[in-house]
Amino acid sequence: MGHFALEGIHVLDFAWVGVGPITTKYLADNGAEVIRVESAAHPDVLRIGPPWKDATPGINRSQFFASFNTSKKSITLDLRKPKAREIARRLVPWADIVAESFTPKAMRNWELDYEKLRAIKPDIIMLSTCMQGQTGPNALYPGFGQLMAALSGFYYISGYGPGSCTPPYGAYTDFIAPRFAACALLAALDYRRRTGIGQYIDMSQYEAAMQNLTPALIDYRATGRVLGPRANGSDRYAPHGAYRCADEDDAERWIAIAVANDEQWHAMLQVLDAHTTESRFDSLEGRIEHAAALDEFVGSLVRKHNAHELTAKLQAAGVAAYPVENCIDIHHDENLEAFDFWHWLDHPEMGPSPYEGLEHRMSRTPGELRMPAPLLGQHNDEVFGKMLGMGPDEIEQLKKDGVIF
Amino acid sequence: MPSKLLNGFRMLDLTDEKGALCGKMFADLGAEVIKVEPPEGCSTRRIPPYIDDIPDPDRCLYSIAYHAGKKSVTANLASAEGRALVTDLAAKADFLVESYPVGHLDSIGLGHDALAARNPRLIYTSITPFGDTGPGKNYQWADIVSWAAGGAMYLMGEEGKPPLQMSLPQAGLHAGGEAAVASMIAHYPRQIDGLGQKIVVNMQACIVWTLMNEQAMPFLHGNHLARSGAYAGSTGAQRKMVYECKDGHISILVAGGTTFAPSTRALIGWMGESGYGSEWMRQKEWTIWVPGVFMAMTEQDRQEIAELEETIGRFFATMTKSEIYAQALKRRILLAPVATAADIDRDEHLKARDFWVDVPHDTIGRTLVFPGPFAKMTATPIGGSTRAPRIGEHNDEIYRGVLGLSPQRIQELCGGGAI
Repeated sequence: MGHFALEGIHVLDFAWVGVGPITTKYLADNGAEVIRVESAAHPDVLRIGPPWKDATPGINRSQFFASFNTSKKSITLDLRKPKAREIARRLVPWADIVAESFTPKAMRNWELDYEKLRAIKPDIIMLSTCMQGQTGPNALYPGFGQLMAALSGFYYISGYGPGSCTPPYGAYTDFIAPRFAACALLAALDYRRRTGIGQYIDMSQYEAAMQNLTPALIDYRATGRVLGPRANGSDRYAPHGAYRCADEDDAERWIAIAVANDEQWHAMLQVLDAHTTESRFDSLEGRIEHAAALDEFVGSLVRKHNAHELTAKLQAAGVAAYPVENCIDIHHDENLEAFDFWHWLDHPEMGPSPYEGLEHRMSRTPGELRMPAPLLGQHNDEVFGKMLGMGPDEIEQLKKDGVIF
Repeated sequence: MPSKLLNGFRMLDLTDEKGALCGKMFADLGAEVIKVEPPEGCSTRRIPPYIDDIPDPDRCLYSIAYHAGKKSVTANLASAEGRALVTDLAAKADFLVESYPVGHLDSIGLGHDALAARNPRLIYTSITPFGDTGPGKNYQWADIVSWAAGGAMYLMGEEGKPPLQMSLPQAGLHAGGEAAVASMIAHYPRQIDGLGQKIVVNMQACIVWTLMNEQAMPFLHGNHLARSGAYAGSTGAQRKMVYECKDGHISILVAGGTTFAPSTRALIGWMGESGYGSEWMRQKEWTIWVPGVFMAMTEQDRQEIAELEETIGRFFATMTKSEIYAQALKRRILLAPVATAADIDRDEHLKARDFWVDVPHDTIGRTLVFPGPFAKMTATPIGGSTRAPRIGEHNDEIYRGVLGLSPQRIQELCGGGAI
């Protein structure tokens, strides 16, 4: 057994943007050899998205792209050209997995769809992930993660109450679907090892994302109840929410607090050196019923406290609390530090750059950010030369012809 | 021939809401997932809301959703006999996933080292709020705490108002999904060399990962985002992402560049047909218009964006979500309705894909409709769940069938409080 869990697994990765690359990153960081097939003619949109090194755009300067593409190699083929497609097909016998995330017609048009790939390699495993899946009336409708988060129901449960809509940050569903896609791929790999049977995986990011809303979807069909925005309201905790603490360096600071029972409630009051004669706050039910008044009361108690110091005191007293951290705070967070979460990798063009580490740790075959993200086409010579046996002249000609591009 | 991907593999599920989704995903993939819960039932069975608001564990929607496809046994971990049952089950399991406070299972002899000594194949996955070594390893947890600690809460909500969580808390679901992936990564080498391992999932890190790389902004651009309600983007280049319409909201990002220009042109064309918009909008070279991203935002850009957003706002206010979405599909305008559960339920696209699945619940005398599988696979179907088990429903099947206990012995263990 090698050092990494997935050593020896080969992935030919046509996927771009979020879900596809994040999925294959799981494989790459665990030792699989992942070759991304890209093109300067149609670059991954994340390569031209911020944040960039020194806030200066460039095809090899986006940390947005870099974060999702650690441990991978990159080759360039302009798949609009028949010769490029022919070269791509020559890589298929090498691959255990082919991944792609275009709108459904693209791979068909390039004759790189599952049927064609299966003719080359019968036990190939292929993942197609797109917005709404390979079939159905809206299959060809393009989109991106922010819209998907609205369509699949997350925006509607985000807000201060009826009529308010304040969405979760970014392309939220892009961070749900990959975990499902990776599980499907890994299970398919194991199944193939046991049975010799490969298969095709059609993942709709819409359908995968909704797995994080299952209770609300079942509830609607069963009872007609529609879960909507309710600020930080809870049926289980009171107080429950974010409360403003003392400002630090002219910036507002907040603390999240969740109190599950009376014991924690009294512990919290003691930490804050506070008392209340409000009988409606005596029981959890009463506090839930009068949550607005409760929030005001708690808000007044914590307003002068330092969020970090108060967190330590509340946690010591057995109350769930944590500062509401921003993107600077998380880089100084002592718990993430203890987990060795952050990694600074030396990228050939960007220099040392901040990468998110793995969200889990394994005792025997730990994954690792093995390489920073590849430059566009960084591995052309290695793949076309060493793997496919092309000579330097042939590669040069293909570059001149815009095939390797 | 196995009919599902993980047929023949067994997982013990000792999680609460910090990881219930993990076992659900394994059940969807065909594994036998045995939920091991205390005799009074797992805390996940007491999370509101309930079907028809009747607070009965079999009507708890969280449990109905995320224990579907699992089996349930009860074991009292406070009793030596109860712990022995779990030890014996773990000897015959391929996976174990748990989310007890860090160190708790170790302290009662059910930690990784103890169980792996008897079953070296075991993949033992612990879900933790803050890892297993840091100063917060024993911190009290609630989902909102992870949402705050991972940076997602800071970015959600409006300036001047409190940061927000979603109405259906998400951190435990991210951690459950991550536990499933990590367990499956470890599965591959284990099937080759027979050795399992210990995995620790860090829920705070799982939330940081959802920030779409915003973490790098302070280093590379020298600034970081604050929450901005219905707007997206950094200060000075903010764009409205959510618009009101007749019956709710629409999400759309009006932008230029090669990716967005065709959609923006189509929207302006559509508005023009109804008499909305100005001539400059129709004349604009949208393909090269990327202010605030690749070029400085000028005063003129600001005015144009304001006019465009104001026009769209008036235009959308005349229609419903479904009217707007229908036109967007036809005209390939990139937008989405801010869909409610009711909108999702009506979506013809999902119906055409046979997405919804009926799951009979004899426990409450009705059939519930579930979201379908998370992916469609040609050789091995995913999902097709059976309903969530009753508390201890499979005690007899598992303790007799898997551990070989006699009915009398099971009776004794029940009487003694172990089961």
